[in-house]
Amino acid sequence: MFVSSLNNQELKKITGYRKSDSSELLIQLEKIHLGYKVVIEAKGILDELEIFSFPKPARLLINNWQSWGPTRVIDENFKLDFPSELIHKFGFSASIMPDIYFERLISDYFICSDNFVIGALESRFGHPYFEIHENSIVVKLKYFGKILDDWTKLESFVILFTNPDIGLPHYADLIAKENKVVYKRKNLIGWSSWYQYFLDFDYDKLCSNLSFSKDYNYDVFQIDDAWEKDIGDWEVNNKFESLEIISTKIREYGYTPGIWLAPFSVAETSRLYNQHPDWVVKDCDGNPVVAYENWNKKIYALDTTNPDVAEWLSKLFYQLKKLGFDYFKIDFLFAGAIQGERYKDVTPIEAYRMGMSIIRHAVGESFILGCGAPLLPSVGYVDGMRISADTAPHWDPNEPDIGYPNAYYALRNVLTRAFMNNVLWWNDPDCLMLRKEDTQLNDCHRELYAYVSLLLDNMIVQSDNLSFEIDKKLWDFILEYRKFGKRFFKVEGILDGEYKITSCAINGCDKLIIKDLKQAKFDVFFDEKGVGLVKNVEKREDGRMFNYYTESKINLEGEEK
Amino acid sequence: MERRWNMITNEWVLVSAYTQSRPTNPVNTCPLCPGGDEFSDIYDLASFDNKFPSMKLSAPDVEPLSEIFKKEKSNGQCEVVVYTIEHDSAMSLMPVHQIEKLINMWIDRYVDLSQYPSIKYVYIFENRGREVGATLPHPHGQLYAFPFFPKRIDVKISALSEYFDNNGRCGICDVVEEELRLKERIIYENESFIALVPFYARWPYEVHVYPKRHVSTIVEFENEERHLLAKTLKVVTMKYDLLFQQAFPYMMMLFQAPVNDVRYSHAFHFHIEFNPVKRDKDKIKWMASVETGTWAFINPKVPEEAAKELRNVEVVV
Repeated sequence: MFVSSLNNQELKKITGYRKSDSSELLIQLEKIHLGYKVVIEAKGILDELEIFSFPKPARLLINNWQSWGPTRVIDENFKLDFPSELIHKFGFSASIMPDIYFERLISDYFICSDNFVIGALESRFGHPYFEIHENSIVVKLKYFGKILDDWTKLESFVILFTNPDIGLPHYADLIAKENKVVYKRKNLIGWSSWYQYFLDFDYDKLCSNLSFSKDYNYDVFQIDDAWEKDIGDWEVNNKFESLEIISTKIREYGYTPGIWLAPFSVAETSRLYNQHPDWVVKDCDGNPVVAYENWNKKIYALDTTNPDVAEWLSKLFYQLKKLGFDYFKIDFLFAGAIQGERYKDVTPIEAYRMGMSIIRHAVGESFILGCGAPLLPSVGYVDGMRISADTAPHWDPNEPDIGYPNAYYALRNVLTRAFMNNVLWWNDPDCLMLRKEDTQLNDCHRELYAYVSLLLDNMIVQSDNLSFEIDKKLWDFILEYRKFGKRFFKVEGILDGEYKITSCAINGCDKLIIKDLKQAKFDVFFDEKGVGLVKNVEKREDGRMFNYYTESKINLEGEEK
Repeated sequence: MERRWNMITNEWVLVSAYTQSRPTNPVNTCPLCPGGDEFSDIYDLASFDNKFPSMKLSAPDVEPLSEIFKKEKSNGQCEVVVYTIEHDSAMSLMPVHQIEKLINMWIDRYVDLSQYPSIKYVYIFENRGREVGATLPHPHGQLYAFPFFPKRIDVKISALSEYFDNNGRCGICDVVEEELRLKERIIYENESFIALVPFYARWPYEVHVYPKRHVSTIVEFENEERHLLAKTLKVVTMKYDLLFQQAFPYMMMLFQAPVNDVRYSHAFHFHIEFNPVKRDKDKIKWMASVETGTWAFINPKVPEEAAKELRNVEVVV
């Protein structure tokens, strides 16, 4: 159903009853503030549904389905520049539909231009996406052969007639309300081993960093990839003491112990796979599907619909929690949503959500940080979400924009996906590296990354060898700034790529203008002329809270003026 | 403590036996002065949980009676906001600097309460004078954090959203532009704010304060704007007191976009309403049957005349 323009009259054409050989569809439009909600019901055998199509404007903001994938502006000349030698290695990391992704241009979940934002409000069992043709954009839902015996409500879309600067925060709020999102309200500060040590991390290095961590005021101290025997074999290797000793050691310093794992991934070399080859997602010939390649291995995906897998997964997280961990960075989550044959006849999205539900249930109130995760199906299961490619100790705008580690592309996504923060979850902008050695990042890169993360009220996680020379002045600034509490921010200029962040809190309204992200050229203005207040909180015997305020001009160096 | 649904008007009613226990103008001791019931020591500004709340974050669960008699828990927050230790002060008498501190305290309370997912609307207000039911003369206001949109808030959100949908602009931004062009109802203006008797005033000397630029919540003001807002509040309340040479009773109400909800930030324009009940030095405009029953107000004072009178009251800040 093609509409010649996105206006009220034309959009009415998409409503009504439609019938195909295998399915029936009923589409209604509901008027909402700024636009319409497209409500869809269906029954029958569903595979790929085309909801409507409309003319393609000159420039678009498109989005990739998972944490690492780019959310970027493209123009009419854009061509996907994906190195062919990496296509196999990336597997489903690039797309839930790699067969389509490398052939046609697509945007997952939402798409925007100068005067519209169109997006799906949920991904419960289908995958909402947009196919971008030369002259048109097709709004689609993929159901992977799902059979619906009765009329069932499918994923809804919203069409907002406004620019992305206004429309994207509005869209995120609608997603949050549609999914009744709940997440932990504490915005954490932490340390992670990854961007300093990568796989070269051990217990002694953990202890060394803990001993240097006194003035850093972390909430969380998290061990990253390096501690496990193999992907799928989540037991400590010979570089580490037991998990109980690790968590106890971290708690001795007053931090919440955090741990990394990739719960839906299984290496071909793992004991788990060799003992339970039937636990992974298969192709129609019964062969294991390669979800992606990493660690120089083929990685398969756990079939989360298999009751034995479900029990194993639940026990794994229950045990980790029992061993003292209360912060879980769960990575490569897209593996849980790959296409293939499973124990139960469900869509990849349903299977993924079953897996996430098991983990959430097992860890209870612990903090879950999603990574490498399909964004929309994860809403409601995670407290924090990586919304960018891996950062890196280098900044290179000339590398391909494919989700590979690169501080430049990571920060670009931190800006283009800023609207998700503190609405769907806490955005994890990936780690800050504040060391002045063993890095190619310069002062400008470090400061820009830190200022963006702070002004956008994102999670703050540092990844440095703390015995190195650290930009401690910048870290102290970060700690001082975070004392101002929750921030109300907005990002303007997303389509133009000249970003202006306005970030307000009790200290006033600060501004960060990024004139040229590639060159890390920016101006920051801190609103320091105001009347500072210091608050002291008292809880009375009758349970009532008293907040006392006294004047105290605090500067960002942390000294009283 | 609970809230009950009025299906005749589609609105929540707060029911709380606690509020029945609150004091009525204590004569001898002020509970807000040091040494009174609430404070043993000196302080500058303070905000605390109301002893007689109609909502509490930890409100007990309630069971609905039936489909038509819906009830829900009143899981909100009621706070008393004390402006100063000076018992005999008032906003009109406080230094601008103290009002600036008050604004920052409002901001902190707004931000703090917005972190509770159950809170949907933070409403800051002041009842000044016995005529509007203030039980304590010590300069203070209150704050209600609602787990729902109260009726008039809902109406404002709907009206401003509808205006934005129809015109692609913020309604109050357009009002500000028009008022600045006409200059007829403005009683005070500075670089960032205008105070005016609105074209649509419901009360005889009603005054609204609008920021000139689009801002949806008090948090979004820059520090210089916070200072200018303090100055504006000082000027408006001084003009009120000087109008009839008496402490002028009013209801002051801050209207902001909802919390935990960014959908309306472009359409909802922060504003402050002063609803004074006096229509002359010794005459009260009562909220009587027509106003209460129909929400239709009969304003006995032509807004342009009220604006002229207030504009002509000279104050020095």
